[in-house]
Amino acid sequence: MSLGTHHGGRGGGVQADVEEIVAVADRVRGAIETVIEGKPEVLRVALTVLLAEGHLLIEDVPGVGKTMLAKALGRAVDCSVQRVQFTPDLLPSDITGVSVYHQERREFEFDPGPIFANIVLGDEINRASPKTQAALLECMEERQVSVDGRTRPLERPFMVVATQNPADMEGTYALPEAQRDRFMARVSVGYPSPQAELDMIDSHGTHSPLEGLTPVTDALTVRRLADLVRQVHVAPGMRRYIVDLVNSTRTSPELDLGASPRATLHLVRAARAHAALEGRHYIVPDDVQSLAVPVLAHRLLPGPQAQMERMTAERIVADLVARLPVPAPR
Amino acid sequence: MPLAALVCLLCALPLLSPLVRGDGWWSPAVVLMVTATVVSVLYRMWSGRVGLLVPVLQTAVVGLLIVPLFAGHLAPMGLLPSGAAVEHVFEVFSRGLEVINVNQPPVTATSGVVLIIAVSFAVFLITADFLAATARCPGMVGGLLLALAVVPLVVDGDGIGAWPLAVCAFGFLQLLAVDTWVRGREWGVVVPVPAGGALQHALVATLAGVAAIVLASALPAAVPGLRTDAFHSMAEGTYIGRQNDVITTTHPLVSLRRELLAESDRTVLTYRTEAEEPGYLRRYVLDEFDGVNWTMSPVDASGDTRVEDDLPLPTGWPSAAEEETVLTRVSLDSDIAGMDFLPLPYWARSVDVSGEWYVHPDSLMVFTTEQPSTGLNFTVETSERPVDARELAGAGAPRSLPGDFRSLPRNLDPGVGELTRSLTGHTDSPYLKAVALQEFFTSGDFTYSLRPPEVPGGSDPLVHFLTVDRTGYCQQFAGAMTVMARQAGIPARVAVGYTAGERLGDGRWTVTTGDAHAWPELYFEGAGWVRFEPTPAGATGQGSATEPEYSTGGGLDPETPEPEPTPTIGPDDEPSASEEEPAPSPGASPSAEAEETEGAAAPPVGPDGTGPDLSWVPAAAAVVGVLLVPLLPAAVRALVRRSRSGRPGAAWRELRDTCVDLGLGWDLAESPRATAARLSALRDRNRVPLPEGVRAALHRLALAEERDRYAPASVWDESVGTDLRTIVAGLPGVVTRGVRLRATLLPRSLWDRPRAVTPDPEPQGA
Repeated sequence: MSLGTHHGGRGGGVQADVEEIVAVADRVRGAIETVIEGKPEVLRVALTVLLAEGHLLIEDVPGVGKTMLAKALGRAVDCSVQRVQFTPDLLPSDITGVSVYHQERREFEFDPGPIFANIVLGDEINRASPKTQAALLECMEERQVSVDGRTRPLERPFMVVATQNPADMEGTYALPEAQRDRFMARVSVGYPSPQAELDMIDSHGTHSPLEGLTPVTDALTVRRLADLVRQVHVAPGMRRYIVDLVNSTRTSPELDLGASPRATLHLVRAARAHAALEGRHYIVPDDVQSLAVPVLAHRLLPGPQAQMERMTAERIVADLVARLPVPAPR
Repeated sequence: MPLAALVCLLCALPLLSPLVRGDGWWSPAVVLMVTATVVSVLYRMWSGRVGLLVPVLQTAVVGLLIVPLFAGHLAPMGLLPSGAAVEHVFEVFSRGLEVINVNQPPVTATSGVVLIIAVSFAVFLITADFLAATARCPGMVGGLLLALAVVPLVVDGDGIGAWPLAVCAFGFLQLLAVDTWVRGREWGVVVPVPAGGALQHALVATLAGVAAIVLASALPAAVPGLRTDAFHSMAEGTYIGRQNDVITTTHPLVSLRRELLAESDRTVLTYRTEAEEPGYLRRYVLDEFDGVNWTMSPVDASGDTRVEDDLPLPTGWPSAAEEETVLTRVSLDSDIAGMDFLPLPYWARSVDVSGEWYVHPDSLMVFTTEQPSTGLNFTVETSERPVDARELAGAGAPRSLPGDFRSLPRNLDPGVGELTRSLTGHTDSPYLKAVALQEFFTSGDFTYSLRPPEVPGGSDPLVHFLTVDRTGYCQQFAGAMTVMARQAGIPARVAVGYTAGERLGDGRWTVTTGDAHAWPELYFEGAGWVRFEPTPAGATGQGSATEPEYSTGGGLDPETPEPEPTPTIGPDDEPSASEEEPAPSPGASPSAEAEETEGAAAPPVGPDGTGPDLSWVPAAAAVVGVLLVPLLPAAVRALVRRSRSGRPGAAWRELRDTCVDLGLGWDLAESPRATAARLSALRDRNRVPLPEGVRAALHRLALAEERDRYAPASVWDESVGTDLRTIVAGLPGVVTRGVRLRATLLPRSLWDRPRAVTPDPEPQGA
């Protein structure tokens, strides 16, 4: 959607950049949709997180295409993609890499683990032991790896797309709150519609659609676009709005645990990326409103009263959003 | 709930306490109400069904109970409703009605009165039980209580005491509280009270209460109301007459007291006469005394007594007397309820008045059986004959009187008779006795007060007035003197009407409600009925009352003729059919005619009423103003709309107000584009969506507003003004015509703007 050409002073260049973001995002979206159909919402959040340089948690029952989504995202962007299948016996060094002794040069040489990639696909992250989860999550937050006393930065863009089964499935360790907090957003893929499922039979019957997916952009472009996203304007009223929204999760009687200050930062960044994806160089309440559930819900802990009434965190957040007045005119 | 309704109505019983004299009048009412409540409770407990049958059961049980309560001695076994017992109950009921109608409050608690009270309260309780317990709207019971509260207000000028009112209010509030409590229990969920909630509730309740009281006091003053007199005469009446020719009128003494106690002194009538000292204007003559009250004997409205030519000669009229016939023209004020008994000077010889009027030959009362019209004009011809004190002194025993005007109830307190004897024992002359009686009242021992202290229960009001507190107003003075005159052997009766009033000049007089009066008329053979004046006059008494000179005894000197009413005909330029005169029309009335009618609305323009009467101009302006008031909100709204043509933010506020006006809702948590999407999806009753142009305009306006709010810098688009006009014109299409009309006449946005709960960082309208 284009908003026309009404913009002033410094907005001119920004507007052109925003249009580039829209174009690139449209290409990526088109590419992924050849693999996964009928999930525009999930794709929207995934692209938002990519541009906001956050990490994405995909939570759903097995077999609905979590991994396929992550793989397609990785392939659509021409960048390094690594996949780690988390199992209970996976060790931290299996992720970060180890220093091995080089016989010829007679010295230890660092053999980088799968974390050294632009997009890291952590499959079934909640099957690993907490120790291994912690190693991954440290990398996510610091965007660097410390092995043998040496700190190695990770290359931008760096995005972890983790999938997990719902916590009550067999053989899973629930992700602690502190680690859930490091993911910018959580989405559920959900079952496809009957029509999408029919189409899937056809497309998957002949060949794997993933094979035919060609990259439509590259890491360099993504990095530049992510820089542009940081310039999206956040009006003072919008800052206040975001803070009020996050704060309302802390004061809500239905929640035992509210959102952290990191959630505020994540929400601002995600809203910026979302606005850019919509072709705007400023965020509006609609950006925040549409992202509030994916960005906030997985960080919250509903209280006993809410659990008794079968109130999910998603519904509580939606209620809070529906009650909070949008910033008034200046 | 039935118990709460019972308590509520029990608390309302004291409301009637000022109206009933005696003890124990409430007990049958309590018995009936408790019984009906027990029926209700038992039925509801055992059947567990909705109590639609309860009123039927209650009525049956109450009906069965009335017989043993009121006719137990006639019923077999004291219980069963035999024919005789039922008949007796009906008889008691009609006797009670008569007591209530004839007497002025407080009435004695006879069995009939008690029966009426008990039955009324039983009916009220059955209704209240149905409203509160079956229909579950206990607030409606307040209507019943109001009806009860109105009874003492209407019947008695004193109003309700604070104590019964407080008890009644307590009863009603406990009913509401019980209802809330029961509802809470049935719901089963405790509503959490936020911190400081109690204080907030108290504040809200206080504000609501204060607002209600202020509105209730202020609004009636601002809006035109029912004429209170009309209301009063609807509310009660005295039955006069026989069988088919029943005349209903307000009890003369009750209306007298009401007029005297009225807050504002209103003009009742104006009349024109050339007499220097016009006499009183009589309306009623009360000739029967039951020991407490004076009442009127039945009057006859038959063809014989129809007012056509001359009125019958008054009793005792000296046939040989020289007659001087004069005319008096009377204009009743159009703001006063129509009078069914005409105020006439004594002695009227003929009355020229439109409509069907009858005369009571003995008393010369002129009355009608129809609904009297207001603002009546009529001409009365009176015979003027001066009363001479010597003639009175020479009068012997009454011989020519048709009725006996000396009868008194047997049970009259002997103290009164002793007092009369001590005052009049010194002479045999009826005239000197009468003078002595009037002297007794006017000597200064008595105090004039419109609100005499209450007579203690059990004591005779007449004896109390004469011997104990000696405080009262014309009703007591006139009644007491008439009783004592009868004891002294002089035929006497009480006349009720108005004093001569206040002179306006030029032979015109005005009579106000404050001039309402009662006085004794005593009969002397050869002179007829003669007015006496026992009520103190002047500033500390009945202001415009005058003591006739013959009544003071000084009239035994040869001169001092009593100036009886000497109304005169004016300059002979007035047609006698003045009642057909139209209401004052601007600038058209000649002076003399304008005077006749202008008392209706405005004070006279000048002594002569000369010049065009422009008093209608402010009134007309006020009427136009009142008519324009409903359009005020629409005008303000239009001004607000104009001021918001195309400025940033203002257009969006205008959209908001338009939505509020149309009842489309406005959610502060909704972003501009969400609002636009919601409004665009609206459809009218026929599922026709908004026109494409309006939807596009909505979208553009939302995006413009969004840019204005959230973009770093933006240029306001001039086309927004056009878009706004498109929306404001198109949006009302989705609501019904009624809603559109309401939105135009009563735009809600003027007083009901959506406001954020949390303070905005930047206030609106900055």
